[in-house]
Order: sequence, then C-alpha cells, then structure tokens
Amino acid sequence: MDDYLVSVLSNIGVISFVALSAYLLLLTGEISFGQQAFFAIGAYSAGVATAMWGWPLPLGIAWGAAAGAACAVSLGVPTLRLRGLQFSIATLAFAEMVRILFELVRYQIEIDGEPVGPNGTEGFRNIRYIFDHNIEPFDFMMLIYAVLAITLGGFMLLERSRLGVIFRMIGEDATLASLQGIAVARYKVLAAGMAGALAAIGGGLYAHLTTYVEPRTFDVMLGVHSLAYGLIGGLGTALGPLLGVFIDVGLLESVRLFAGYRMIIFGGLVALLLIVRPRGLLDERLVHGVGRLFRNTLSGSTRTRRGPR
Amino acid sequence: MIDFIQNTIDGVMIGSSYGLLALGFTVIFGVMRRLNLSYGPTVMIGAYFGTVLYLDFGAGLLVVAAGVVAGAVISGIYVERLCFAPMKAGAGIASMVSSFAIWMQLEQAAVLVLPRHTYPFPPLATGLALEIGPLLVRPDHLIMLAGALLLAAVVQLALYRTRFGLGLRAVIANPIAANLVGVDVKRSVMLAFAAASAIGGVAGFLVLAVDQQVTPMFGMWATLKGLIAMMIGGLGSIPGALLGGLLLGVVEVHSHWLFGPQVRDLFAYFVLFAFLVARPGGLLGRTADVELSHRV
Repeated sequence: MDDYLVSVLSNIGVISFVALSAYLLLLTGEISFGQQAFFAIGAYSAGVATAMWGWPLPLGIAWGAAAGAACAVSLGVPTLRLRGLQFSIATLAFAEMVRILFELVRYQIEIDGEPVGPNGTEGFRNIRYIFDHNIEPFDFMMLIYAVLAITLGGFMLLERSRLGVIFRMIGEDATLASLQGIAVARYKVLAAGMAGALAAIGGGLYAHLTTYVEPRTFDVMLGVHSLAYGLIGGLGTALGPLLGVFIDVGLLESVRLFAGYRMIIFGGLVALLLIVRPRGLLDERLVHGVGRLFRNTLSGSTRTRRGPR
Repeated sequence: MIDFIQNTIDGVMIGSSYGLLALGFTVIFGVMRRLNLSYGPTVMIGAYFGTVLYLDFGAGLLVVAAGVVAGAVISGIYVERLCFAPMKAGAGIASMVSSFAIWMQLEQAAVLVLPRHTYPFPPLATGLALEIGPLLVRPDHLIMLAGALLLAAVVQLALYRTRFGLGLRAVIANPIAANLVGVDVKRSVMLAFAAASAIGGVAGFLVLAVDQQVTPMFGMWATLKGLIAMMIGGLGSIPGALLGGLLLGVVEVHSHWLFGPQVRDLFAYFVLFAFLVARPGGLLGRTADVELSHRV
C-alpha cells in the first residue's frame, strides 16, 4: 500500500469519528454544529498527555475521551431545553468559543531543550509519539481502523439494545417518549457525553496521525461537514456516516481529474442526491429492507415477504 | 467616557450591517422554518458580479449596486429551486445540508471566476469623517445605518400592510390553510426567498462598499454574522433582527477596544451562547418558532 493511500485512508478513519459523533446526536433528534469542539479537546488533551507528560498512547487517548465526555456533558446540561435551531446555534457558539480559547492558550514546557506544547495560533507541534516509538504509518492506520471497528461494534450493540431504541424514540418524538416514562433529559445528556467522547477519540488519533494540530483546523466547516456525512451516507445505520466520509474524503481526494471544478460537481451531486433520498443513501427503509431480506434468505422462507406488512 | 461613546457609535454603525444581513435571514427562516446556509455565499456571488462590473466595465456605484442585488437574487433563486422547493415537508435537515453543499459550490465558482484573494470594491462615500463635537462619524457608516433602518421599515410594512405580506403571514401560520383560502404557497415562498436575497444583496453591497474590498471569505462571514444577529434578536421578528445586529456590533466594538480582536470574537460568541441559554427566543422573538427537526 503506498503512502498516499495510507494517509487518505487514515484521514477517512479519524474523520469518521466526528461523523459518528454527529450521527449519534442526530439519532436523538439534535443537530449539532459543534462536534468539532470535542474533536479539538480530544486532540489537545491526548497530545498534551503523550508529548508533555510522557503518557503511553492508549492512556492519552482515553484521557482525551474523558475530557471530551466531561466537556460534552457540561455543554449538554445548559442546552437541554434548547430545541431545533437554538440547539444548533448554541453548539456552534460553544465550538467557536473552544476554538478561540485554543488560540489564546499557551502551555509549554521544555523537553530536550525545545519548548513543547500548545502555543496559541501557532498550534501544537511535535506530538511525536509515533516517531519516538517507531510506529509505521500503516500500523497506525490499522490502529485507527481497529478502534473504529470496536466503535462500530458498539453502535451495532446500541442499535439492538434498549438504549438505542430509547435514543431513536427521543429523536422521533421527545414528548411521547417522556409520556412513556423515559427520563428524556438524562438520556439526552448521556447521548451528548457519548458523542463527545467519540469525537474526542477521533481527535486524539488525529493529533498523533498528523503530529501537529492548530485551532484553525477545528472551525465551523468541520462541524457542518461531519453533520453532512450522516445525511449523505444515511441515517439508517452507523455505516451511513462512514459512507458519507468515504464519498467526500475518499472520492474527492482521488478525483483530482476535475481539479478546481470538483466542489462544483460534488456540491451539485449532493444537492440532487438529497432531493431523491432526504435521509441519505442508507436510510432506515433500505436498512430494514436489507435486514428482512437477510433473515428470509437465512431461514429459507419466503412466506414473510408475501405476508401482510 | 468619550471613548465609550465613540465605541458605542462605531458599534451601532457596524452592527447595522449585521442587522441588514439578519433581516434577509429572518425573512427566509420566518417563511420556510428552514436554515439556508447558502445565504451568505449567494450574497457573495452578487458581490463578485458587482466587482466584475466595476473592474472590467468601469461601472458606476448605482450599476454595481444593481449588479450585486441582481446576482444575489439569481443565485438565491437557484438555491431555492435546488435545495428548498423540491424537498418534502419532513426534510428540514436535508434542505440545510444541501444548502451547505451549494455553499461549497458557490464559493468554488467565485474562486474560479476571480482567483486572486482580494479584489477592490468601489467606495460608498469618500471624504472626511464628520466631526460632532469630539466624536467622529464616517459618512459611509451613516449611509449604511440609514439603509438598514429604511429596509427594516420597508420589510415590516410589506409584511403587515400589503396583500402579499398578508398572504405570506398566512403561509407562515399554516401553509395548508393558506392554500385553501387561495394563496399560491409555492409562488409566495419563492418571492419571499427572492426578496430576502435582494435584501442580502443590499446588505452585501453596503458592507463591501464600506470595506472597499471583497474576498471569498465573505460568504461564510455573512452567513455567520447574519445568523448570530438573528438568534440574538429573536427569530421571526424584523425589529429583533435589526436590534440583534446592533447589539452584536456594540458588543464587538467594545470588547475589541478593551481586549483585542481574538477576545472580541470570543465575547461575541459568549454573548450569543448566554442569550440562547437564558432567553432561547432571543430579544424579541417567540420561543415556539424554532423547530428545525427532521420530523417537522
């Protein structure tokens, strides 16, 4: 596998975490423009832990995830009673505040005669963990995909669990869910925390992948993009956001042919796609249909297909 | 004390441009209940059209203004046809995401037409700042403020004193009922969208004529400032949009003066966040009008 392919695939892998984070909130009916904030928090926290405190990578990533979850919960509580656009804009305001704070923060220590650490708008250079431990880019890519696979497994369990049903139920109709005795507020904060942790894991991996982060990376564009991935790929399954990332990062990167025109073609295609499939390529109906087909083939029976719906 | 008054005046002047942008946003969101992220970029397309007229054909100020408005309206209708008209009732987020995709498209188109980073834009009013005692007021700022007040008044009157405005308010209240009593809902929505784009065009022209330059960043800037001003002022309220813009401008200028540019932006977002949490409906808006959910 050549270096270029490895770097594109690694990028797809880390961006998928933000896309999944936005997707998890979409399931509960919330549209967040701010998941890039937790991506940033994860990136900085994990970077500080490994590059400045000398922690091992897994511990650094976990620490980043904890920081992301904690910040997401503390954002989730005050924004609980906001609905629709208000919630979206509040998350956007929060994310921009986080980004500007990272532009102001200077926290550096001397390591081997060189200053290491976040340095305002200059960013945070030399997160050298993978160099210092001789981790090949290919191996790091495999690590990213291993964590992503575990996350996807978690999503599959979630979709089959009571918790997943509750999340989707709140997304469909929060009032109805609360009438059924579901503590909507508690589950919303839980979903926010889980989404924050997910984005932060992605951020931690991203920081070590690029060895360098700067506040500008985490602007509104990243947030709106990660929201768009779920919509393009589909809201029926966690594979949807991944498909969205693959279409955007993967195909756009590879189709250099169109050069300057690629955004014009891609933008138009996305708009047309959303007219035909407003809930994405892999929407709920398709996912259920495929699931039913599978079960029927496995049991060797066609009766259920002909029967009344 | 003089500084404080001067900064407040400057804030009001700058805030009037935010108010203008929020005005167009309010009309679109008020009618559609959907977020048009392409709003700023359509204004930017208009601005680029105006710049081309100015640079290549030496057009005068009024022709440039007309060009900006025309460009904004044409690209605005393009967005409406592609992202809003064909979407079914339940597809609010899909509209928003597809307007985001068109944002990227428009931005790319602008960069392809004029590849340099900045282009000059004709100045609105040259000449010295007016001195009122110890205070200074720029004439082009005054024109911008007057434009904002005038447009807000026109929009308010059009909504509450004309037959078209009555029909539009009927569509806002209940599209099905409006259709039953003979309002052409689709046509009303498209006209409202075109009007909002025209307002955006005027706003873009005034802002850029004060800045005297145009960059591809203008699209994102216009979308963000308009959105923030609308949210602070109150969704669906015309005076609220103007007030939110002015407040945002005053907060920005004061915090810039006190703490510098980075803290200015931090403070502006903090005010927005605090307002949303404390008073979700904004200054003059109603809380009930904010649904953007995909199930609406």
